[in-house]
Amino acid sequence: MSTTQERAAAQKRFALAKSGLDTVDERFASSKWLVSALDKIFPDHWSFMVGEIAMDSLIILIATGIYLALFYVPSSTDVVYAPTSGHVYLPLVGQHMSEAYQSVINLSFDVRFGLIMRQAHHWAALIFLAAVFFHMCRIFFTGAFRKPREINWIIGLALWQIVSLEGFTGYSLPDDLLSGTGIRVIYSIVQSIPLVGTWLAYALWGGRFPGSTFIPRLFVIHEFLFPLAIVGLLTAHLMILWHQKHTDFPGPGKTETNIRGSRVWPQYAMKAGGLMMLTASVTFLLAGFVQINPVWLYGPYTTYTVSAGSQPDWYLGWLDGSVRLWPHWEFRSFGHEIPNPFFPGLLIPSILFGIMFAWPWIDKWIYKDYGPHNLLDRPRDKPFRTGVGVAAGMFFTDLTLACATDLLANNLHVPFERLIEVLQYGVFVGPIAGFVVAYWTCLHLQRTDAHPIRRPVGGIIYRTASGGYHTVGDVHHDDHGHDDGHGDHGHGGPHSDTPGGQSPRHDAPTPEPVAGD
Amino acid sequence: MLRGPVLLLSLVVVVFSVLILTQAPARSASNTVSTNPSDIAAGAVLFEVHCQSCHGYQGKGGVVAGAPALVNVGAAAADFYLTTGRMPLNSPSNEALRHHPAFTDAQIQELDAYVNALPQITGQGTAGPTIPSPEPLCSVDQQKSPTSVDLATQDPGCVTLSEGQQLYAVNCAQCHQAAGSGGMLSGGNVIPTLHNSNLIQAYEAPLIGPKPMPIFSQLSHAQLSAIAQYVQYLKKPSNPGGFGISGFGPVAEGFFGILVGFVLLWFASRMIGNRG
Ligand code: HEC
Ligand code: HEC
Ligand code: HEM
Repeated sequence: MSTTQERAAAQKRFALAKSGLDTVDERFASSKWLVSALDKIFPDHWSFMVGEIAMDSLIILIATGIYLALFYVPSSTDVVYAPTSGHVYLPLVGQHMSEAYQSVINLSFDVRFGLIMRQAHHWAALIFLAAVFFHMCRIFFTGAFRKPREINWIIGLALWQIVSLEGFTGYSLPDDLLSGTGIRVIYSIVQSIPLVGTWLAYALWGGRFPGSTFIPRLFVIHEFLFPLAIVGLLTAHLMILWHQKHTDFPGPGKTETNIRGSRVWPQYAMKAGGLMMLTASVTFLLAGFVQINPVWLYGPYTTYTVSAGSQPDWYLGWLDGSVRLWPHWEFRSFGHEIPNPFFPGLLIPSILFGIMFAWPWIDKWIYKDYGPHNLLDRPRDKPFRTGVGVAAGMFFTDLTLACATDLLANNLHVPFERLIEVLQYGVFVGPIAGFVVAYWTCLHLQRTDAHPIRRPVGGIIYRTASGGYHTVGDVHHDDHGHDDGHGDHGHGGPHSDTPGGQSPRHDAPTPEPVAGD
Repeated sequence: MLRGPVLLLSLVVVVFSVLILTQAPARSASNTVSTNPSDIAAGAVLFEVHCQSCHGYQGKGGVVAGAPALVNVGAAAADFYLTTGRMPLNSPSNEALRHHPAFTDAQIQELDAYVNALPQITGQGTAGPTIPSPEPLCSVDQQKSPTSVDLATQDPGCVTLSEGQQLYAVNCAQCHQAAGSGGMLSGGNVIPTLHNSNLIQAYEAPLIGPKPMPIFSQLSHAQLSAIAQYVQYLKKPSNPGGFGISGFGPVAEGFFGILVGFVLLWFASRMIGNRG
């Protein structure tokens, strides 16, 4: 677009926005805040958009969850499944089951949209956790957790824990054979806590396993307590983000005190809105075409049945794997045995999470760098941190594989016991190897300055007569044409030259033509 | 004026429905083991050529370590091992797993007849279980309004999927998985999927216990029938919700959710986002 066209388009857009803002202003006198909010600049590096996938999945989870809650009955009351007027699932007729399980069967076979909502809810949960996990990795590897963002790192970790538990409680609600098996494992882990375990399990379950109070309690936790905590923490997470502003990768024209990217309105909103619709599409396509958790095949939970291949959903696989790999050692102290599941089920996860919570400070201590940072690290420039991250990833992968040993052994035709042994060694060998390889790769990349998978950045920069720049021969910029809406904006806090983070140009209808591209 | 034809048509439909619903499921040939001397003789010839090297003269064993005597195993064992292609083994150290049957149906019947006759031929003991005739499924209406019978002691003449599901969950799911997709035992023993077994084989397996699977001698005829019918049902369950990767449980779902769902969206964010 030529500059005149661009100007005309911008004026038109502004006129539209202004009429809307006036409507708001006449009633709430908040247009000033709105203008600054809509003008806010978001860096739109793709890896930042993955955080959006998490948020979008959360919205889908809440929407589908509300639908499911309309039909789910949180009760362990024993009922006999009998044909209803609608569909009846023959293999369960006449069987004793909890009301909860029966309601999920009816939800799947009888309730309109019930099954697709159930499946969408479950697929969204799997995607949600994948997105959160990826998001957490990107924060770690780029050093986005450094001062002043330590609090958001901690809130984020708390979110990760609660979100995993939220997934687990959801998985447990249907009271089918898999759910019951999972709850049984958790019951044993709770019981294994020294001194208080038995009492705690008794209190949580309101008596002995399985009891009749746990399902209703689980429902309150899954439907109310955890969602409230997630939405609350997420609000804090995003408010802090909004206030502190985004980090950004170093690059031409980027400094510790500016942000380059798209304005919230309209560019970033379009991008984020598009991604949201894509997330919804993918989730519902999966829900429509790929079956997930066919509870009717698993049957109702009874304490004396179990199925081969009983595993938790993927994001808790590492805990299950940890329990599977832990050797059958016995520890005694003060004449009492500390039950075995305590170590792999609670102690190891606690140590790991402890290290993760403390990482921003460990990182400061390692790099003797106590100052604030708004520009991200390229992972290669911090080989030690990257190595630690890769090592943690290898550890996590090893435990997750351990959770699937029965399936792996069957498909790879390896004896089960060998696989466990290999993975037990893997707990140590994997992270060390991962660290060494990552460290070495970082040093190599530093030297060659190559992108690990892409052609090197570069090209010829031309300066046009009107003072603009454009690049020829640079794959990264040529594919995407111009970058619109880039501008310089101050960071909040100590670095801001414009307090409150407002754009100094928010009243100017015309976006500046962008230098540097 | 349409009343006549409509009545007639309804009558035809009703009669057909009753016929279809009450008809016992088609069964493969006769399950009775032949006692015809010519069949036994033909079986003896086949046995000498294909089995004797491991199982010994007249199936008395003691030739190859690991190959058991067959005198008292009964026709059900012979039938199961032959129709699932487990026998003849190539090498006695191989795990006996499912293959294409090495013999025709007629030859298998002859070998069954011979193994069944071995106690008489050798004068040792009595024959083991014979080839079973599983009970049919009850009609859908009967299954919808179940009368509680204890299959362990009573024999109602037909069995329901619900009975089968419960017995399967208690006895078989811990090894063969709830949806029958199989698993792994200790010592490198593969637990096969049940989706390849027909009705008779699904009954025979718990009856004779192909090692390392145990023998379920505590189960009654009606109970084994119910399990076998449910195993047949699992091959093509009423299974809404789309492509069923979930026969393999949460691990497969996790892989799929990440590799398809998340990776698609990840690509989308790469397209939408900036790469600067
Ligand atoms: C290479 C040696 C070999 C040959 C040849 C062989 N078998 Fe076997 N057979 C074995 C072994 C080893 C076992 C035990 C393995 C198992 O049960 O998994 C066995 C088990 C059996 C059993 C089960 C016995 C029980 O206790 O339930 C039957 C029945 C049987 N064989 C029949 C036959 C017949 C019929 C033939 C000929 C068509 C045959 N076998 C050929 C080695 C052989
Ligand atoms: C201890 C674990 C275990 C249990 C419990 C068990 N099975 Fe098996 N089953 C096996 C193994 C192992 C094999 C493979 C045997 C072989 O290698 O010959 C098998 C084989 C079979 C086969 C043959 C499959 C084929 O494709 O050839 C059938 C049918 C079968 N089982 C049915 C059942 C039924 C029905 C039950 C419940 C009454 C049951 N099993 C319980 C372990 C088990
Ligand atoms: C419920 C799950 C979560 C949601 C929905 C979520 C959402 C977001 C979003 C949308 C952003 C801005 C976009 C981005 O930078 O990618 C963000 C930033 C951030 N998140 Fe999360 N997040 C979640 C969990 C986590 C976790 C588990 C961590 C790490 C332990 C974390 C740490 C951070 C940090 C430090 C920032 C600021 C990054 C920056 O400014 O560059 N978050 N979060």
